Amino acid sequence: MKTSALKGVHKKLLEIDLTHSKIRIKKLDKRLLQNYIGGRALATRLFFDAVDPGCDPLSPENIIVIAASPLIGTTAPTAARGHMVFKSPLTGLIGSSNCGGTWIRYLKSTGYDALLIKGRARKPVKIHINPESVTIQPAEKVWGLNVHQTTQTLQNEQSPKARVLCIGPAGENGVKFSSVMNDLNRAYGRGGPGAVFGSKNLKAILVEGNKKTEFNKKEIFQAGKDQAEYIMKAAPITKRLLKELGTSGLFKLINVMEMLPHHNFTDNVHAPEQIDQISGERIKKELLNRPGACFGCPIACQRHTSTNGKTGEGPEYETLVMLGPLCGIYHLESITKANYLCNELGLDTISMGGTIACAMEMSEKGILTKQETGGLALSFGRPEVLEQTVQQTASRQGIGKHLSEGSSRFAESFHHPAFSMSVKKMEIPAYDPRASFTQALGYMTSPTGACHLRGGYAVSLAFFGGTKEIPRFSLLQSPIAIRNMQNLGIIQDSLGICRFTGFAFSTEPWSRMLRGVTGYEYSSAEFEKMANRVAALERVFNLKAGVKHSDDALPPRFSSESITVQRQNTSLSFQSQIQLRENYYRARDWSVPEGIPSKKILESIECEEI
Amino acid sequence: MAADQWKADENLIRLFQTIGHILLDKDLEDSHSGNISTLWTDDQGNEKIVITAAGSQKGDLESSQICFLSATETDYGYYKASSETDIHAKILSLPGVRSVIHAHTKDLTIMTLDQEAKPNQPSPFIPIDSLGYYHLNARIPVDWVQVPCGSPEMTRIIPERLGHNNITVLQGHGTFARGNSLQQALFHICIANNSGYIVRTAGRLGIDIHKLRKQISNSPESFFPYPPLKYNQNPEEMIQIQGEEEIIKEIKKTAARIFRSGLSPFHTGSLSIRGVDQMIYAPKASMPREIGGPITKLALGSDQDKKDREQNIHQQIYKHTDFQTVIHCYVPEAEAVSYFVPPGGKNLMDRLVPIDAEGSFFYLVIPILPPDFDPSALIRLLHDYKIVVIRGGGVWSVGEQSLSEALHHPSSLRDICLYIIGAYERGLDLKKLQPKKAKQW
Repeated sequence: MKTSALKGVHKKLLEIDLTHSKIRIKKLDKRLLQNYIGGRALATRLFFDAVDPGCDPLSPENIIVIAASPLIGTTAPTAARGHMVFKSPLTGLIGSSNCGGTWIRYLKSTGYDALLIKGRARKPVKIHINPESVTIQPAEKVWGLNVHQTTQTLQNEQSPKARVLCIGPAGENGVKFSSVMNDLNRAYGRGGPGAVFGSKNLKAILVEGNKKTEFNKKEIFQAGKDQAEYIMKAAPITKRLLKELGTSGLFKLINVMEMLPHHNFTDNVHAPEQIDQISGERIKKELLNRPGACFGCPIACQRHTSTNGKTGEGPEYETLVMLGPLCGIYHLESITKANYLCNELGLDTISMGGTIACAMEMSEKGILTKQETGGLALSFGRPEVLEQTVQQTASRQGIGKHLSEGSSRFAESFHHPAFSMSVKKMEIPAYDPRASFTQALGYMTSPTGACHLRGGYAVSLAFFGGTKEIPRFSLLQSPIAIRNMQNLGIIQDSLGICRFTGFAFSTEPWSRMLRGVTGYEYSSAEFEKMANRVAALERVFNLKAGVKHSDDALPPRFSSESITVQRQNTSLSFQSQIQLRENYYRARDWSVPEGIPSKKILESIECEEI
Repeated sequence: MAADQWKADENLIRLFQTIGHILLDKDLEDSHSGNISTLWTDDQGNEKIVITAAGSQKGDLESSQICFLSATETDYGYYKASSETDIHAKILSLPGVRSVIHAHTKDLTIMTLDQEAKPNQPSPFIPIDSLGYYHLNARIPVDWVQVPCGSPEMTRIIPERLGHNNITVLQGHGTFARGNSLQQALFHICIANNSGYIVRTAGRLGIDIHKLRKQISNSPESFFPYPPLKYNQNPEEMIQIQGEEEIIKEIKKTAARIFRSGLSPFHTGSLSIRGVDQMIYAPKASMPREIGGPITKLALGSDQDKKDREQNIHQQIYKHTDFQTVIHCYVPEAEAVSYFVPPGGKNLMDRLVPIDAEGSFFYLVIPILPPDFDPSALIRLLHDYKIVVIRGGGVWSVGEQSLSEALHHPSSLRDICLYIIGAYERGLDLKKLQPKKAKQW
């Protein structure tokens, strides 16, 4: 990489210590920005350097870092995503969450590339950032309000132009899978960042600014952008499918591929008429008001919907499945309303659905009594319990007190941990890992617990990857395939762009755009190196936080109980899991069996031996 | 004959049928032309000649049209056998020869025609591609005969030629190829016609073939990166890999596509899929489904066979990149286009700019490296372009995830080259056809 004047960034980190109400502006080193670009990579590096991995996630010692990329503030397609890193209260490991909308663009327009928050305010506060000033203000007035109320109140009272990032009651109450929301319905969803905000008495961050993102050579940027848009306009998924059906358009496809989970992952069998009741096609016909888009996104996958007099966003695919068939529910209105409620209260719908499904199975098996559920008939196929369960979880009342801990702690507290379908205490998303070994390995090795995005979105490879489609059950290919998908995810998260662009093209146009913005000679090879460094940082953090190689494993159900895929009984044996895991470690140049990055890798991240 | 036939391995019958079908499919035979023969030992230990029947349709051979004859004396089998059986029998008596194929290799035959008064001794055909150059002894003999079908003159000349060459051309008629197996004879036939096609295509592009041949003859090592490995069709190489059925299926599918789509001649090139410390390697990328070829599992990074440059490049690509699949094949149109000097230009091109809609949609440009390329340059370009043409050395392509991805590149490249060749032939200005964005991207 050529070193010259770096453009596209402000080279500034805003550091806020809530305990002492101190605000510092730190200069970001050029080399750091060059090596870690922005978004996830930059946030991870800053977090890694600043936090004690052994800290209590809900203590003042935990740190939140949010970072933008050099492409944020440009017209690069989909470049509207920010990345948040924190220690997760759900997993006790690194939390790493990505979100679209407009907030991150506004943060960057205040003149900062990244924001680091530490400490704990004595009383609820909000932070207001603009190019001229940064203030920590009381927020008692909005404490207790839901996400929509908070956003509207703050915009009305403070500045209609400001963009609001905030938590709902779930985050205030310390629900371990509570989210941080922006633009009302866009979520930094997984791993409980809402609870970390709540533990710091931080209700909201308002941003507004006018600082522009400078270009080094706009014509190079434009050439890359033209290429990207050209291909996105041609690829069916990015030009049409996601706009028309949203991510829930996947629903029928995943069912056809026999990967759609049912009843807490006990099987993958659904009646055709049930599938029709809640498909993406049905959502389009019955609920959709209009599609929406994050800033600068030509894809427009957002679903602005209404049902029975209520309006909101969703359901998207994951929510649809986790609050739907995973709980044996095929009632669109109930799922949609529960989705709206999760958004308003600030809850991760994936973990919420996974936790409810776990409770339902335990209830059906007689492990949970009616007394313990507070009279709630928690069994599969009962849509009427959804809203109440979500409500109780956010407020930590009744059975919600236990559910708010997530399925792993919930099942453990009733002495039946095997009913939690989670990895590292994070609930498995809406793709049955027995139907794709690559996706299974992604869940196993995701640094944040079972996450289809941080773990590598292998489903796309298996079912709609076009020429990139790979075998579903290859022990040989899965470790490299998932490493590559994870790395692609790191690159996308670090550039502040959407996963869905990957359905149209890989990293080449992005390297051109980034080159045009920053003036540095980025290439796909440089991106890969950066991704490997970030994966190592995340691993080292997790190792220091206490993760063990045996944690990189699926729940026992997936090895002991089969589902039928392509007319064959399929499971992923414990032995095969070990083989996959160890080969994945080798693919990353981590030790076997421990999964410790090699000395060479540790040197590349300037880290001493563990 | 019938009794022998039923004793014969069913696989032999099927192989004849497959090869006949391939020859028809690849336009190397018309409905009835050509013939195929091999030696076969019956259960009494008697060596027999197995040969296609006269007038049989090679693309639809019935088992009754595959004749079993005595190799040493005239027997009843000769009633039905090919009219060129005598030539086959004589070739089959040569040391090391077990199979013969005679085909109407039109591209090669056209490129060996001359206008000289007859009789004459035509010039040999000199391939300008590495496969033809190295596998066919740098020159293919060409002969003119008075009676070009089954004549005693042919029976004398052709075996004599095949005593020293893998292939020989009968001017205006076709080609005879020898092999130690039917697969090897087919390999020689395909390579030979491919060489003819490349020269013919280069001619369509206005390339000075005479000058190029002279230069190649003077210094072949400057024109070809490395000699391809000698043809080897040892059944023991066809290792059965336990498990990984999906991957083996992918490899077979890809190899069959490479063959059928003409992305590389029969049993040439190589392809691989990597695991963490192993790769599944097919040393012949172009394999018809019915014939197949070796597929082996090799350790990554072991450099176990340093002489095998082909395999080493796979290893190097995996060592230095995250790619999961690699294909090397010899797209004939790309071989020709890589010598093309566009009108107004002085030098050979270092990149291809697609002029067709889909080509320019997927590729900004496709780089061309010289024969003495540095492997690190190849790897760097593969990183950015996913496909690279080596002048005189085929085409390398990679996939981030799948073989299908790596296959897509040479397949598109062939189309891209065909459009360039066609547009040039029509006298169109290629520069005007190149999309503006290609200059920016």
